[in-house]
Amino acid sequence: MDDKIRLAAGIAKQLQGLSYDDKRLAEIAAEVEVLNEAVRKAANQRLTFDDDPAAFASVLAKEAK
Amino acid sequence: MINDDLALRDLSEIADAIAAGRITSLQATEACLARIAVWQPRTNAFLRLNKEKALEQARVLDKELAAGKRRGPLHGVPMAHKDMYYRAGEISTGGSAIRRNWVAPVTSTVLQKLDAAGVVELGFLNMAEFAAGPTGHNVHHGHCRNPWDDKRVTGGSSSGSGASVAARMVYGALGSDTGGSIRLPASACGVVGMKATYGRVSRAGAVPRSWTLDHVGPLTRTVRDNARMLAVVAGHDLDDSTTSEKPVPDYEALLEGGVRGLRIGFALPEALVPIDAQIGAAMQAAADALGKLGATIVPATMPDFTDLYRSAEVIVKCEAASMHRPWMEADAPYANQVRTRTDAGYFIPATQYIDALRLRAHFVREFLAQAMDGVDAVLLPAIPFPVPTLEETDVEASGGPATLKMVARFTGLTRPFNTLGLPALSVPCGFDSNGAPIGLQLIGRPFDEALLYRIGHAYQGATDHHRKVPT
Repeated sequence: MDDKIRLAAGIAKQLQGLSYDDKRLAEIAAEVEVLNEAVRKAANQRLTFDDDPAAFASVLAKEAK
Repeated sequence: MINDDLALRDLSEIADAIAAGRITSLQATEACLARIAVWQPRTNAFLRLNKEKALEQARVLDKELAAGKRRGPLHGVPMAHKDMYYRAGEISTGGSAIRRNWVAPVTSTVLQKLDAAGVVELGFLNMAEFAAGPTGHNVHHGHCRNPWDDKRVTGGSSSGSGASVAARMVYGALGSDTGGSIRLPASACGVVGMKATYGRVSRAGAVPRSWTLDHVGPLTRTVRDNARMLAVVAGHDLDDSTTSEKPVPDYEALLEGGVRGLRIGFALPEALVPIDAQIGAAMQAAADALGKLGATIVPATMPDFTDLYRSAEVIVKCEAASMHRPWMEADAPYANQVRTRTDAGYFIPATQYIDALRLRAHFVREFLAQAMDGVDAVLLPAIPFPVPTLEETDVEASGGPATLKMVARFTGLTRPFNTLGLPALSVPCGFDSNGAPIGLQLIGRPFDEALLYRIGHAYQGATDHHRKVPT
């Protein structure tokens, strides 16, 4: 069992109370890796300390026609 | 008028005829029921038909009108809705097996508004399980089938909404849209679908797919009908804190401005998703038609949406994982594709989820600055390829790489606008070589639904794609 599958198995069982077979854990680990990397990269490029999740609604309101 | 004539008329025309006393709500309801008797076996659009209740509602509404009381602009108009809008005391399945017999404790805000406007409720419509799926497949309640070709998909997740409006079984229907679920069935079935700005329509009392990305909206036969229906269901709601307090315009009154003087950005964003030549040609023809009407058509440059797509996946998977956890833990009977689309949400760190939310404001500013710089709206396809068959897209029966790739491409041009929260209107613009509809998509600035309706209405005034009816 490689490290990623072992980590995924630990998260599933110990944090979430769910169980998956190794094949599915490998698929999930690969999917999560892509998503995490993409968001981390996008966040590093764009976000500052003061970025607030609620700014989205404010931007829509400010940019409204 | 004979029954079928009535069923083929538009929502606005029927509503006005009822108001003027030229026809009754009972006649309109009977006309719809006659269409349903013919088309339900071919489409499986309805999950539950409440025939007697609808007829009784129609009689009551006719009596009210005779006594001088018109509830609102939809008085007496028969509709049905995606089976995810709660009505207190009635079953609401959400397209699932898990909630096959679940009874809703409250009535959704949008159904309350339609009740107040005088709508007759014929029943509830097929949908993808828990609104998770872009094709219209449903292993628990039977797949919904496209009225133009019953071997082809309707698009989803609002499958029954698209099919029932297209087959003239109802005059209008509510759908919901988390990644394209109003616009995809509207496009594939040849009807009009509006995903309004995030916060324009209340989500209270609707089955969630992703609280952050869910949008409620109408599917109708014409842009005018859609404008009338949105005006009824839109507005601030204390039961949904994300709704805007901005006043709701009289969209119908603003339809006739035309497109002369407007600048419309035109995009065939091959870099985002491959676009079939037939679809590209239909979009070009639509752009040309708008140009002839006086709009200035200019190229629009779409941003690279890769980061946005991934952020949207993080948001929807984390939120779906949270809401479905008790059933997932209990190994409840989900379709495989619903479970596998959710699993990753249990493994994504909270920091990534929060960052995905924080990124949304940046994505909106970037899109407005790039794609909408100097234009009033953007025109692009809704679905980038001809409507596929049920078999070609059946991920439960044959979830191979080619099938999964095609299904994923379905939302390539719709999902970004859920993350951005911008208004997006799908309008019929032609037919592919298989005889299935093609839909264009118009994107606007926040809360600029009125302009999208104005463009769509002008386009429908110059074309007749929306007048064609499946036979």
